[in-house]
Amino acid sequence: MRNVLILIFSLFIFVGCSSKDVNTPKENKQVIEQNSGKITENEEAVELASEEDELVGEDEFASEDEFLDEFEEEMTVEEVYDPLSGYNRAMTTFNDFLFRNVVTPVAKGYKSVVPKPAREGVKNFFHNLMYPIRGVNNLLQGKFANTAEETGRFVINSTIGIFGLFDPAKSLFGLEAHEEDFGQTLGYYGVGAGPHIVLPFFGPSNLRDMFSMYPDSYVDPTSVSPIESLDNYHIPDNYVESIAIKAVDRINYVSLHVGEYELLTDDAVDKYTLLRDAYEQRRKKLIEE
Amino acid sequence: MIKNLVLVFMLLIGVNGFADEKEDVKKQLLSKIDAVIEVVQDKSLSKDQRNSKIVDVVTPTFDFKLMAKLSLGKKWKRLTKTDKGRFVKLYVERMKRSYSEKLDTYTDQKVEVTSVKQPKKNRMVVATNLISSSDKMDVVYKFWKPRKHIPTKDRWLVYDVEILGVSILKADKAQFSEFLKTKSIKDLMDTMINVK
Repeated sequence: MRNVLILIFSLFIFVGCSSKDVNTPKENKQVIEQNSGKITENEEAVELASEEDELVGEDEFASEDEFLDEFEEEMTVEEVYDPLSGYNRAMTTFNDFLFRNVVTPVAKGYKSVVPKPAREGVKNFFHNLMYPIRGVNNLLQGKFANTAEETGRFVINSTIGIFGLFDPAKSLFGLEAHEEDFGQTLGYYGVGAGPHIVLPFFGPSNLRDMFSMYPDSYVDPTSVSPIESLDNYHIPDNYVESIAIKAVDRINYVSLHVGEYELLTDDAVDKYTLLRDAYEQRRKKLIEE
Repeated sequence: MIKNLVLVFMLLIGVNGFADEKEDVKKQLLSKIDAVIEVVQDKSLSKDQRNSKIVDVVTPTFDFKLMAKLSLGKKWKRLTKTDKGRFVKLYVERMKRSYSEKLDTYTDQKVEVTSVKQPKKNRMVVATNLISSSDKMDVVYKFWKPRKHIPTKDRWLVYDVEILGVSILKADKAQFSEFLKTKSIKDLMDTMINVK
Protein backbone atom coordinates (compact mmCIF):
# COMPACT_ATOMS: atom_id res chain seq x y z
CA MET A 1 0.00 0.00 0.00
CA ARG A 2 2.73 2.43 0.87
CA ASN A 3 4.26 2.03 -2.52
CA VAL A 4 0.96 2.79 -4.04
CA LEU A 5 0.76 5.92 -1.97
CA ILE A 6 4.18 6.97 -3.08
CA LEU A 7 3.42 6.39 -6.71
CA ILE A 8 0.07 7.99 -6.59
CA PHE A 9 0.50 11.10 -8.62
CA SER A 10 2.64 9.51 -11.22
CA LEU A 11 -0.12 7.86 -13.18
CA PHE A 12 1.17 4.37 -12.60
CA ILE A 13 -1.23 3.62 -9.85
CA PHE A 14 -4.36 1.76 -10.25
CA VAL A 15 -7.14 -0.54 -9.13
CA GLY A 16 -9.08 -3.53 -10.25
CA CYS A 17 -12.64 -2.75 -10.92
CA SER A 18 -16.19 -3.79 -10.83
CA SER A 19 -17.25 -2.97 -14.26
CA LYS A 20 -19.26 -3.25 -17.35
CA ASP A 21 -18.05 -3.17 -20.89
CA VAL A 22 -18.16 0.01 -22.83
CA ASN A 23 -20.21 -0.10 -25.98
CA THR A 24 -20.32 -3.85 -26.10
CA PRO A 25 -23.57 -5.63 -26.68
CA LYS A 26 -24.38 -8.44 -24.28
CA GLU A 27 -23.85 -11.42 -26.56
CA ASN A 28 -20.51 -10.08 -27.54
CA LYS A 29 -19.53 -9.63 -23.92
CA GLN A 30 -20.18 -13.24 -23.08
CA VAL A 31 -18.04 -14.39 -25.94
CA ILE A 32 -15.24 -12.21 -24.68
CA GLU A 33 -15.45 -13.51 -21.17
CA GLN A 34 -15.49 -17.12 -22.23
CA ASN A 35 -12.57 -17.04 -24.54
CA SER A 36 -10.33 -14.06 -24.61
CA GLY A 37 -7.74 -15.64 -26.82
CA LYS A 38 -10.00 -17.48 -29.21
CA ILE A 39 -9.41 -17.39 -32.92
CA THR A 40 -12.05 -15.43 -34.74
CA GLU A 41 -14.33 -17.48 -36.88
CA ASN A 42 -14.42 -15.13 -39.79
CA GLU A 43 -10.69 -14.95 -40.34
CA GLU A 44 -11.32 -14.94 -44.06
CA ALA A 45 -13.48 -11.84 -43.89
CA VAL A 46 -10.97 -10.25 -41.60
CA GLU A 47 -8.16 -10.73 -43.99
CA LEU A 48 -10.14 -9.59 -46.96
CA ALA A 49 -11.10 -6.47 -45.12
CA SER A 50 -7.56 -5.74 -44.05
CA GLU A 51 -6.38 -6.20 -47.58
CA GLU A 52 -8.84 -3.68 -48.84
CA ASP A 53 -7.93 -1.36 -46.06
CA GLU A 54 -4.37 -1.22 -47.27
CA LEU A 55 -4.87 -1.33 -50.98
CA VAL A 56 -7.80 0.88 -51.68
CA GLY A 57 -6.67 4.39 -51.05
CA GLU A 58 -9.88 6.20 -51.83
CA ASP A 59 -12.17 3.72 -50.26
CA GLU A 60 -9.85 3.30 -47.37
CA PHE A 61 -12.46 2.99 -44.67
CA ALA A 62 -14.89 0.73 -46.47
CA SER A 63 -15.67 -2.86 -45.50
CA GLU A 64 -13.40 -2.96 -42.54
CA ASP A 65 -16.03 -3.67 -39.94
CA GLU A 66 -15.24 -7.34 -39.42
CA PHE A 67 -11.59 -6.56 -39.42
CA LEU A 68 -11.96 -4.06 -36.60
CA ASP A 69 -14.35 -6.33 -34.74
CA GLU A 70 -11.58 -8.81 -34.33
CA PHE A 71 -9.65 -6.24 -32.32
CA GLU A 72 -12.75 -4.98 -30.57
CA GLU A 73 -12.80 -8.12 -28.45
CA GLU A 74 -9.41 -7.58 -26.92
CA MET A 75 -9.71 -3.83 -26.80
CA THR A 76 -12.83 -3.83 -24.69
CA VAL A 77 -12.47 -1.21 -22.02
CA GLU A 78 -14.12 -2.00 -18.74
CA GLU A 79 -16.05 0.96 -17.50
CA VAL A 80 -14.94 2.03 -14.06
CA TYR A 81 -17.69 2.26 -11.45
CA ASP A 82 -17.65 5.96 -10.76
CA PRO A 83 -20.69 7.37 -8.95
CA LEU A 84 -18.49 10.05 -7.36
CA SER A 85 -17.16 11.40 -10.63
CA GLY A 86 -18.15 14.99 -9.81
CA TYR A 87 -16.17 15.04 -6.59
CA ASN A 88 -13.39 12.96 -8.14
CA ARG A 89 -12.90 15.42 -10.97
CA ALA A 90 -12.69 18.35 -8.59
CA MET A 91 -10.19 16.52 -6.39
CA THR A 92 -8.11 15.54 -9.41
CA THR A 93 -7.92 19.19 -10.42
CA PHE A 94 -6.79 20.05 -6.88
CA ASN A 95 -4.19 17.27 -6.77
CA ASP A 96 -2.94 18.17 -10.22
CA PHE A 97 -2.49 21.80 -9.21
CA LEU A 98 -0.73 20.77 -6.02
CA PHE A 99 1.55 18.37 -7.81
CA ARG A 100 2.61 20.82 -10.49
CA ASN A 101 2.99 23.82 -8.21
CA VAL A 102 4.24 22.32 -4.98
CA VAL A 103 5.41 18.71 -5.23
CA THR A 104 7.35 19.03 -8.48
CA PRO A 105 9.13 22.30 -7.61
CA VAL A 106 10.10 20.97 -4.17
CA ALA A 107 11.31 17.69 -5.69
CA LYS A 108 13.33 19.64 -8.26
CA GLY A 109 14.96 21.73 -5.54
CA TYR A 110 15.74 18.62 -3.54
CA LYS A 111 17.11 16.94 -6.65
CA SER A 112 19.50 19.82 -7.31
CA VAL A 113 20.94 19.53 -3.77
CA VAL A 114 21.04 15.78 -3.20
CA PRO A 115 23.04 13.62 -5.62
CA LYS A 116 21.29 10.73 -7.34
CA PRO A 117 23.05 7.86 -5.51
CA ALA A 118 21.96 9.36 -2.20
CA ARG A 119 18.38 9.67 -3.40
CA GLU A 120 18.42 6.09 -4.59
CA GLY A 121 19.72 5.13 -1.16
CA VAL A 122 16.79 6.93 0.47
CA LYS A 123 14.42 5.17 -1.90
CA ASN A 124 15.93 1.79 -1.02
CA PHE A 125 15.77 2.62 2.67
CA PHE A 126 12.04 3.33 2.58
CA HIS A 127 11.36 0.35 0.36
CA ASN A 128 13.17 -1.91 2.81
CA LEU A 129 11.26 -0.35 5.69
CA MET A 130 7.99 -1.33 4.02
CA TYR A 131 8.99 -4.99 3.96
CA PRO A 132 6.36 -5.95 6.57
CA ILE A 133 3.54 -4.87 4.27
CA ARG A 134 4.88 -6.97 1.41
CA GLY A 135 5.78 -9.88 3.67
CA VAL A 136 2.40 -10.04 5.40
CA ASN A 137 0.34 -9.61 2.26
CA ASN A 138 2.33 -12.20 0.32
CA LEU A 139 1.69 -14.54 3.22
CA LEU A 140 -2.03 -13.71 3.35
CA GLN A 141 -2.28 -14.64 -0.33
CA GLY A 142 -0.49 -17.91 0.29
CA LYS A 143 2.50 -16.83 -1.79
CA PHE A 144 4.99 -18.52 0.51
CA ALA A 145 7.94 -18.49 -1.87
CA ASN A 146 7.52 -14.74 -2.34
CA THR A 147 7.28 -14.22 1.41
CA ALA A 148 10.51 -16.15 1.86
CA GLU A 149 12.21 -14.15 -0.89
CA GLU A 150 11.02 -10.88 0.63
CA THR A 151 12.25 -11.96 4.05
CA GLY A 152 15.62 -12.88 2.61
CA ARG A 153 15.80 -9.47 0.98
CA PHE A 154 14.96 -7.75 4.25
CA VAL A 155 17.62 -9.63 6.21
CA ILE A 156 20.34 -9.09 3.61
CA ASN A 157 19.52 -5.46 2.86
CA SER A 158 19.12 -4.49 6.52
CA THR A 159 22.58 -5.87 7.31
CA ILE A 160 24.93 -6.04 4.33
CA GLY A 161 22.85 -3.31 2.67
CA ILE A 162 23.38 -1.00 5.69
CA PHE A 163 19.84 -0.40 7.01
CA GLY A 164 18.43 -0.89 3.56
CA LEU A 165 20.32 1.95 1.88
CA PHE A 166 21.62 -0.47 -0.71
CA ASP A 167 20.03 -3.44 -2.42
CA PRO A 168 22.64 -6.20 -2.42
CA ALA A 169 19.84 -8.77 -2.15
CA LYS A 170 19.08 -8.07 -5.77
CA SER A 171 22.47 -7.12 -7.15
CA LEU A 172 24.40 -9.93 -5.42
CA PHE A 173 21.82 -12.58 -4.69
CA GLY A 174 19.24 -11.99 -7.39
CA LEU A 175 16.33 -11.79 -4.95
CA GLU A 176 13.39 -9.85 -6.35
CA ALA A 177 10.83 -7.76 -4.50
CA HIS A 178 7.17 -8.79 -4.66
CA GLU A 179 4.92 -5.80 -4.24
CA GLU A 180 1.74 -6.67 -2.38
CA ASP A 181 -0.56 -4.65 -0.19
CA PHE A 182 -3.85 -5.32 1.55
CA GLY A 183 -5.88 -3.91 -1.32
CA GLN A 184 -4.27 -6.52 -3.56
CA THR A 185 -4.89 -9.21 -0.95
CA LEU A 186 -8.59 -8.38 -0.90
CA GLY A 187 -8.62 -8.28 -4.69
CA TYR A 188 -6.90 -11.67 -4.73
CA TYR A 189 -9.81 -13.11 -2.73
CA GLY A 190 -12.32 -11.60 -5.11
CA VAL A 191 -13.24 -8.35 -3.39
CA GLY A 192 -14.25 -5.82 -6.04
CA ALA A 193 -12.77 -2.37 -6.25
CA GLY A 194 -15.96 -0.53 -5.39
CA PRO A 195 -16.42 3.07 -6.45
CA HIS A 196 -13.39 4.95 -7.65
CA ILE A 197 -12.34 7.61 -5.13
CA VAL A 198 -9.69 10.28 -5.61
CA LEU A 199 -8.04 11.05 -2.29
CA PRO A 200 -6.61 14.46 -1.49
CA PHE A 201 -2.77 14.36 -1.74
CA PHE A 202 -2.68 10.60 -2.38
CA GLY A 203 -4.47 10.66 -5.72
CA PRO A 204 -6.54 7.90 -7.37
CA SER A 205 -7.87 5.09 -5.21
CA ASN A 206 -11.09 3.19 -4.67
CA LEU A 207 -13.15 2.04 -1.75
CA ARG A 208 -11.33 -1.25 -1.35
CA ASP A 209 -7.86 0.25 -1.53
CA MET A 210 -8.77 3.18 0.66
CA PHE A 211 -9.96 0.94 3.50
CA SER A 212 -6.94 -1.28 3.00
CA MET A 213 -4.70 1.53 4.16
CA TYR A 214 -5.94 0.87 7.68
CA PRO A 215 -4.93 -2.81 8.04
CA ASP A 216 -1.64 -2.01 6.32
CA SER A 217 -0.97 0.73 8.86
CA TYR A 218 -0.66 -1.99 11.54
CA VAL A 219 2.52 -3.27 9.96
CA ASP A 220 3.75 -0.10 8.24
CA PRO A 221 6.42 1.31 10.59
CA THR A 222 6.01 4.83 9.17
CA SER A 223 2.33 5.00 10.10
CA VAL A 224 0.95 6.01 13.48
CA SER A 225 0.19 2.89 15.47
CA PRO A 226 -3.52 2.03 15.35
CA ILE A 227 -3.22 0.26 18.74
CA GLU A 228 -1.16 1.13 21.80
CA SER A 229 0.58 -2.20 22.16
CA LEU A 230 2.33 -1.63 18.83
CA ASP A 231 3.57 1.88 19.66
CA ASN A 232 7.19 0.85 19.91
CA TYR A 233 7.11 -0.73 16.50
CA HIS A 234 5.86 2.42 14.78
CA ILE A 235 8.34 5.24 14.30
CA PRO A 236 6.08 8.32 14.38
CA ASP A 237 4.34 9.27 17.67
CA ASN A 238 1.71 11.37 16.00
CA TYR A 239 0.21 12.14 12.59
CA VAL A 240 2.40 15.18 11.98
CA GLU A 241 5.52 13.05 12.29
CA SER A 242 4.02 10.34 10.15
CA ILE A 243 3.11 12.81 7.43
CA ALA A 244 6.59 14.33 7.57
CA ILE A 245 8.24 10.93 7.14
CA LYS A 246 5.94 10.02 4.28
CA ALA A 247 6.49 13.39 2.66
CA VAL A 248 10.25 12.79 2.59
CA ASP A 249 9.68 9.40 1.03
CA ARG A 250 7.33 10.92 -1.53
CA ILE A 251 9.45 13.92 -2.48
CA ASN A 252 12.45 11.64 -2.78
CA TYR A 253 10.49 9.34 -5.06
CA VAL A 254 9.29 12.18 -7.24
CA SER A 255 12.83 13.56 -7.46
CA LEU A 256 13.80 10.32 -9.20
CA HIS A 257 10.88 10.72 -11.60
CA VAL A 258 10.73 14.44 -12.26
CA GLY A 259 8.57 15.38 -15.22
CA GLU A 260 7.01 11.96 -15.73
CA TYR A 261 3.61 12.90 -14.40
CA GLU A 262 3.56 16.04 -16.53
CA LEU A 263 4.65 14.12 -19.61
CA LEU A 264 1.89 11.58 -19.14
CA THR A 265 -0.91 14.00 -18.46
CA ASP A 266 -0.02 17.02 -20.60
CA ASP A 267 -1.44 15.66 -23.83
CA ALA A 268 -4.43 13.96 -22.26
CA VAL A 269 -7.80 14.71 -23.75
CA ASP A 270 -9.37 14.00 -20.36
CA LYS A 271 -6.83 13.96 -17.55
CA TYR A 272 -9.21 12.60 -14.93
CA THR A 273 -10.32 9.63 -17.03
CA LEU A 274 -6.75 8.87 -17.98
CA LEU A 275 -5.60 8.80 -14.35
CA ARG A 276 -8.66 6.88 -13.21
CA ASP A 277 -8.45 4.17 -15.85
CA ALA A 278 -4.72 3.86 -15.57
CA TYR A 279 -5.02 3.39 -11.81
CA GLU A 280 -7.74 0.76 -12.13
CA GLN A 281 -5.96 -1.08 -14.98
CA ARG A 282 -2.72 -1.08 -13.03
CA ARG A 283 -4.29 -2.37 -9.83
CA LYS A 284 -6.06 -5.09 -11.76
CA LYS A 285 -2.76 -6.19 -13.24
CA LEU A 286 -1.08 -6.17 -9.84
CA ILE A 287 -3.84 -8.30 -8.37
CA GLU A 288 -3.58 -10.81 -11.20
CA GLU A 289 0.16 -11.20 -10.69
CA MET B 1 4.57 -45.81 -39.04
CA ILE B 2 5.41 -43.65 -42.01
CA LYS B 3 2.23 -41.74 -41.40
CA ASN B 4 3.40 -41.01 -37.88
CA LEU B 5 6.82 -39.95 -39.05
CA VAL B 6 5.30 -37.59 -41.56
CA LEU B 7 3.11 -36.22 -38.83
CA VAL B 8 6.08 -35.71 -36.54
CA PHE B 9 7.96 -33.97 -39.33
CA MET B 10 5.04 -31.73 -40.07
CA LEU B 11 4.74 -30.88 -36.41
CA LEU B 12 8.42 -30.10 -36.16
CA ILE B 13 8.29 -27.87 -39.20
CA GLY B 14 5.21 -26.18 -37.85
CA VAL B 15 6.78 -25.55 -34.49
CA ASN B 16 9.94 -24.25 -36.09
CA GLY B 17 7.92 -21.95 -38.27
CA PHE B 18 6.39 -20.39 -35.20
CA ALA B 19 9.69 -20.21 -33.37
CA ASP B 20 11.29 -18.41 -36.29
CA GLU B 21 8.51 -15.88 -36.49
CA LYS B 22 8.76 -15.25 -32.79
CA GLU B 23 12.49 -14.84 -33.10
CA ASP B 24 12.04 -12.43 -36.00
CA VAL B 25 9.60 -10.22 -34.15
CA LYS B 26 11.83 -10.20 -31.09
CA LYS B 27 14.82 -9.21 -33.20
CA GLN B 28 12.80 -6.57 -35.01
CA LEU B 29 11.72 -5.01 -31.72
CA LEU B 30 15.16 -5.11 -30.16
CA SER B 31 16.80 -3.54 -33.20
CA LYS B 32 14.17 -0.77 -33.16
CA ILE B 33 14.80 -0.15 -29.49
CA ASP B 34 18.55 -0.05 -30.08
CA ALA B 35 18.03 2.45 -32.88
CA VAL B 36 15.85 4.63 -30.64
CA ILE B 37 18.39 4.51 -27.82
CA GLU B 38 21.11 5.53 -30.25
CA VAL B 39 19.10 8.59 -31.27
CA VAL B 40 18.20 9.45 -27.68
CA GLN B 41 21.82 9.30 -26.62
CA ASP B 42 23.04 11.48 -29.47
CA LYS B 43 23.26 14.74 -27.60
CA SER B 44 24.63 16.56 -30.63
CA LEU B 45 21.08 16.72 -31.95
CA SER B 46 18.57 19.29 -30.78
CA LYS B 47 15.47 18.07 -28.97
CA ASP B 48 13.33 18.60 -32.08
CA GLN B 49 15.81 16.78 -34.28
CA ARG B 50 15.91 13.89 -31.83
CA ASN B 51 12.12 13.69 -31.72
CA SER B 52 11.72 13.69 -35.47
CA LYS B 53 14.45 11.06 -35.79
CA ILE B 54 12.71 8.89 -33.22
CA VAL B 55 9.50 9.20 -35.22
CA ASP B 56 11.37 8.12 -38.36
CA VAL B 57 12.74 5.06 -36.60
CA VAL B 58 9.50 4.05 -34.93
CA THR B 59 6.94 4.76 -37.65
CA PRO B 60 7.56 1.65 -39.80
CA THR B 61 6.92 -0.58 -36.76
CA PHE B 62 3.79 1.10 -35.42
CA ASP B 63 0.34 0.85 -36.93
CA PHE B 64 -0.78 4.29 -35.78
CA LYS B 65 -3.67 4.25 -38.24
CA LEU B 66 -5.13 1.11 -36.74
CA MET B 67 -4.66 2.55 -33.27
CA ALA B 68 -6.62 5.61 -34.30
CA LYS B 69 -9.53 3.47 -35.48
CA LEU B 70 -9.48 1.22 -32.43
CA SER B 71 -9.30 4.15 -30.03
CA LEU B 72 -12.83 5.17 -30.97
CA GLY B 73 -14.25 1.68 -30.56
CA LYS B 74 -17.72 1.17 -31.98
CA LYS B 75 -18.10 4.91 -32.58
CA TRP B 76 -15.57 4.72 -35.38
CA LYS B 77 -18.07 3.17 -37.78
CA ARG B 78 -20.54 5.97 -37.26
CA LEU B 79 -18.13 8.67 -38.40
CA THR B 80 -18.49 10.30 -41.80
CA LYS B 81 -15.74 9.65 -44.29
CA THR B 82 -14.32 13.15 -43.90
CA ASP B 83 -14.29 12.87 -40.12
CA LYS B 84 -12.58 9.49 -40.33
CA GLY B 85 -9.79 10.89 -42.45
CA ARG B 86 -9.36 13.92 -40.25
CA PHE B 87 -9.46 11.94 -37.01
CA VAL B 88 -6.83 9.44 -38.19
CA LYS B 89 -4.56 12.29 -39.22
CA LEU B 90 -4.90 14.05 -35.88
CA TYR B 91 -4.49 10.88 -33.87
CA VAL B 92 -1.37 9.81 -35.74
CA GLU B 93 0.20 13.24 -35.28
CA ARG B 94 -0.63 13.22 -31.60
CA MET B 95 0.78 9.72 -31.17
CA LYS B 96 4.01 10.54 -32.93
CA ARG B 97 4.50 13.67 -30.91
CA SER B 98 3.69 12.15 -27.56
CA TYR B 99 5.66 9.00 -28.32
CA SER B 100 8.82 10.73 -29.33
CA GLU B 101 8.65 12.98 -26.29
CA LYS B 102 8.15 10.08 -23.93
CA LEU B 103 10.86 7.98 -25.49
CA ASP B 104 13.24 10.90 -25.35
CA THR B 105 13.22 10.77 -21.53
CA TYR B 106 14.67 7.27 -21.49
CA THR B 107 18.38 7.52 -21.22
CA ASP B 108 20.26 4.93 -19.22
CA GLN B 109 17.75 2.14 -19.60
CA LYS B 110 18.31 -1.34 -20.89
CA VAL B 111 15.69 -3.55 -22.48
CA GLU B 112 15.32 -7.25 -21.82
CA VAL B 113 12.77 -9.47 -23.54
CA THR B 114 11.08 -11.73 -21.00
CA SER B 115 8.66 -13.65 -23.21
CA VAL B 116 7.27 -13.87 -26.70
CA LYS B 117 3.81 -15.34 -27.18
CA GLN B 118 1.74 -15.94 -30.27
CA PRO B 119 -1.91 -16.11 -29.22
CA LYS B 120 -3.11 -16.25 -32.84
CA LYS B 121 -1.32 -16.77 -36.09
CA ASN B 122 -1.39 -13.06 -36.85
CA ARG B 123 -0.76 -11.83 -33.33
CA MET B 124 2.41 -11.60 -31.27
CA VAL B 125 2.86 -10.37 -27.73
CA VAL B 126 6.37 -9.42 -26.67
CA ALA B 127 6.90 -8.78 -22.97
CA THR B 128 9.94 -6.75 -22.00
CA ASN B 129 11.53 -5.21 -18.96
CA LEU B 130 12.84 -1.70 -19.14
CA ILE B 131 15.68 -1.70 -16.65
CA SER B 132 17.35 1.40 -15.27
CA SER B 133 19.78 1.70 -12.40
CA SER B 134 17.01 1.89 -9.83
CA ASP B 135 13.83 0.63 -11.46
CA LYS B 136 12.36 -2.13 -13.51
CA MET B 137 9.28 -1.49 -15.59
CA ASP B 138 7.35 -4.07 -17.57
CA VAL B 139 6.43 -2.99 -21.06
CA VAL B 140 4.43 -5.26 -23.36
CA TYR B 141 4.32 -4.72 -27.12
CA LYS B 142 1.41 -6.15 -29.06
CA PHE B 143 2.00 -6.91 -32.71
CA TRP B 144 -0.28 -7.97 -35.52
CA LYS B 145 0.54 -9.10 -39.00
CA PRO B 146 -1.46 -7.66 -41.89
CA ARG B 147 -2.15 -10.19 -44.63
CA LYS B 148 -0.53 -8.00 -47.24
CA HIS B 149 2.83 -6.53 -46.49
CA ILE B 150 2.69 -2.73 -46.65
CA PRO B 151 5.83 -1.64 -48.49
CA THR B 152 6.79 1.22 -46.16
CA LYS B 153 6.05 -0.82 -43.05
CA ASP B 154 7.56 -3.73 -41.21
CA ARG B 155 6.01 -7.16 -41.57
CA TRP B 156 4.68 -7.18 -38.01
CA LEU B 157 3.17 -4.00 -36.61
CA VAL B 158 2.67 -2.75 -33.08
CA TYR B 159 -0.94 -1.78 -32.34
CA ASP B 160 -0.76 -1.41 -28.58
CA VAL B 161 1.77 -0.97 -25.80
CA GLU B 162 1.13 -1.86 -22.18
CA ILE B 163 3.20 -0.02 -19.62
CA LEU B 164 2.98 -1.51 -16.12
CA GLY B 165 -0.22 -3.22 -17.17
CA VAL B 166 -1.77 -0.05 -18.55
CA SER B 167 -2.68 -0.25 -22.21
CA ILE B 168 -2.12 3.10 -23.89
CA LEU B 169 -4.78 2.26 -26.43
CA LYS B 170 -7.32 1.42 -23.75
CA ALA B 171 -6.39 4.57 -21.87
CA ASP B 172 -7.11 6.61 -25.00
CA LYS B 173 -10.27 4.70 -25.68
CA ALA B 174 -11.58 5.33 -22.18
CA GLN B 175 -10.85 9.05 -22.47
CA PHE B 176 -12.48 9.37 -25.89
CA SER B 177 -15.53 7.39 -24.86
CA GLU B 178 -15.95 9.54 -21.73
CA PHE B 179 -15.49 12.68 -23.79
CA LEU B 180 -17.99 11.63 -26.44
CA LYS B 181 -20.68 10.93 -23.85
CA THR B 182 -21.28 14.64 -23.60
CA LYS B 183 -19.53 16.14 -26.61
CA SER B 184 -19.28 15.62 -30.35
CA ILE B 185 -16.52 14.14 -32.46
CA LYS B 186 -15.83 17.63 -33.75
CA ASP B 187 -15.25 18.84 -30.17
CA LEU B 188 -12.91 15.91 -29.64
CA MET B 189 -10.87 16.76 -32.71
CA ASP B 190 -10.71 20.42 -31.71
CA THR B 191 -9.44 19.36 -28.29
CA MET B 192 -6.84 17.12 -29.86
CA ILE B 193 -5.53 20.06 -31.84
CA ASN B 194 -5.47 22.35 -28.84
CA VAL B 195 -3.97 20.01 -26.27
CA LYS B 196 -0.31 20.85 -26.46
